Amino acid sequence: MSTVQGQAIFRDVPEPKRVGLRQKVWNSRFDYLYVAPAIIVMLIVIGYPIYYTIELSFFNTPASLALSAKQFNGLDNYVTILTSPIFWKVTWQTVVWTVVSTFFAFMIGLGAALALHREFAGRGVLRAILLIPWVVSAVAASYVWKWLYHSDFGAISAMLTQVGLVDKPINFIDNTSTSLYALIVVNVWKEFSFAMIMLMAGLQTVPDTLLRAAQVDGASPWQRFWHVTFPHLRGVSMVTLLLLAVQNFNSFIIPWIMTGGGPAGSSDIWITHIYQLAFGRQRWGVASAYAVILFIVMMVLGYFYVRALTKGDDARAAT
Amino acid sequence: MAQVVLKDVVKNYGDVYAVNHVSLTVEDGEFVALVGPSGCGKTTTLNLVAGLIPMSGGTISIGDRDVTDLDPKDRDIAMVFQNYALYPQKSVYKNLAFPLQMRKLPKDEIDKRVQAAAKTLDIVHLLERKPRELSGGQQQRVALGRALVREPRAFLMDEPLSNLDAKLRVQMRSEIKRFHQDLNATIIYVTHDQLEAVTMSDKMAVMNGGFLQQYDSPANVFANPVNMFVASFVGSPAMSLVPLTAVTKGTDVVLASPEGWELPLNAANAKKALSAKSNKVVLGGRHSTIKVHKAQVPGSVPGKVYTVEPTGDVTFAQVFVSGAVVNVSVDPTFLLRPDEPVFIEFDQNRMHLFDGETEMALKLAD
Ligand SMILES: Nc1ncnc2c1ncn2[C@@H]1O[C@H](COP(=O)(O)OP(=O)(O)O)[C@@H](O)[C@H]1O
Ligand SMILES: [Mg+2]
Repeated sequence: MSTVQGQAIFRDVPEPKRVGLRQKVWNSRFDYLYVAPAIIVMLIVIGYPIYYTIELSFFNTPASLALSAKQFNGLDNYVTILTSPIFWKVTWQTVVWTVVSTFFAFMIGLGAALALHREFAGRGVLRAILLIPWVVSAVAASYVWKWLYHSDFGAISAMLTQVGLVDKPINFIDNTSTSLYALIVVNVWKEFSFAMIMLMAGLQTVPDTLLRAAQVDGASPWQRFWHVTFPHLRGVSMVTLLLLAVQNFNSFIIPWIMTGGGPAGSSDIWITHIYQLAFGRQRWGVASAYAVILFIVMMVLGYFYVRALTKGDDARAAT
Repeated sequence: MAQVVLKDVVKNYGDVYAVNHVSLTVEDGEFVALVGPSGCGKTTTLNLVAGLIPMSGGTISIGDRDVTDLDPKDRDIAMVFQNYALYPQKSVYKNLAFPLQMRKLPKDEIDKRVQAAAKTLDIVHLLERKPRELSGGQQQRVALGRALVREPRAFLMDEPLSNLDAKLRVQMRSEIKRFHQDLNATIIYVTHDQLEAVTMSDKMAVMNGGFLQQYDSPANVFANPVNMFVASFVGSPAMSLVPLTAVTKGTDVVLASPEGWELPLNAANAKKALSAKSNKVVLGGRHSTIKVHKAQVPGSVPGKVYTVEPTGDVTFAQVFVSGAVVNVSVDPTFLLRPDEPVFIEFDQNRMHLFDGETEMALKLAD
């Protein structure tokens, strides 16, 4: 709204005077009252666990729930983690898991969005089908895929042997060299629909006349995509990539149900590893320190996410 | 530059005929305005010429080539869009260079042409800016520039000025006209604003409901509208149309109103009136050919003032005549009041008569 209109409408509101903080708080006391229930619940269910996790990360804890027997040990837990080869292995696997999953989910989602963007018979049905992975429960999907991958009873091995691509059944998820990638395939399958929806929404914002102008200007379909469509998708792509990355970083259900991080930790990623440490081996202190590290990484990603979002706002506000 | 010929062009979306058997020849170097109310098929026609949408029937040729089945890029035309359609992420320079890059011109040739176009349009100082950093008029010029660099065979412009404010529109109107004269360009210019069409074009093609109504010079369209639609669409204020009944009285023919007054017609108009399919005849007159009297004079008909709009130089008024609104203009010193009874005199030599059934202009068969 322009200032002119603003003045016209709010003619009777006096110029705001400089007010002290206390006065400001008092003035909006009801606003605080209204958000108080939500804030209190958040403090209890989110704030306190975060605080307690950070606290525990500085303690040597007993392998039981008798946590009052914990002993302060400074940064020992962090040192333990950062010097352990397993930490670096799991970190590498987490990076592979996150980057590869995010990349392929995005690219396949982009392809699907572009394919579904043009009109053709059966588009609605196809779109609905492609949305299924996103809407089915991750737990159910994990179990189904576990069976599909099964070396003796799995459909995938059966198909491959039948076609003759391999001569004996492959053990996708019980094999240290393939387990992580087998999980990534499932993960990509599960979340490419999300990228597809986001990018389909983004494609709607590409002005038709721009594509026509490019067509008259002599651009081929690929050039039109590269010069017109893609630049318009930049904002939504950033957001999609970041959301996927955050989500993949935090993945738990698929790896936990399908392999539990195994075999021999070959598909372990941070979250499954932390879970294992905490609830498998009851090393609360170390697990907490892990969680704190993860928390810091997530905050950095979150910062970029918010920045990408608000940058889009600025660009839009400028036009 | 080249001639553009549309032959029997049809475009339908199911039962909706957006363009209905339109034939039209735009001569080399001619400025043709495609004009009509919103939804009459102007944009569709232009898009068909550009090749952006498939035709349902007919042929289009540009120069000596039949382009009916060619892609837009092979038709060698340039287009200017209503919302300018500049590539928002590219600088002005890159916007101008884009069509040349797509045609794989060498870099120095591209630069030469971009600079030349920028100079012509006085946008050299804007070359490094992004479109969103430009005013509407500047964006408009960049859009023109992007069309200009290509040296195409014809320019197609779809309401290029309708997003500008009134003052800028008048200014850009003359700039585009200059552009046409300097380049001797073939231009098809779409507008819903009849004034733009009249002031800018060599010829105007008036469309309605997908049909081409009339294709002629603005002066001829203005003077001899072929039907009631064209008559009421072209000219501002619009031509007034009063539905009446033709009655033969001895040797005379008069137009009779339901209220009982009669307007005797001269010989030529009488002959026209009698050539109508039925006795329903619509009387048409432009404000400039209508006189307003405070007292009855021979050949005048009674009316009642409805609204009065002084504009300074001239005062426009709307007068109810036999239930129809008649636009008149009077000298500002000639004071009219709403609801005042007045007498309206149509110029027999410049009045228009239309067939009440077919809505077509009645003409003397010669
Ligand atoms: N893609 C389309 N599908 C169906 N009808 C359309 C389509 N494009 C245009 N039309 C119809 O064709 C007619 C002419 O449209 P258009 O050429 O855009 O009009 P104008 O540019 O004169 O305002 C309109 O009635 C419009 O609704
Ligand atoms: Mg249009």
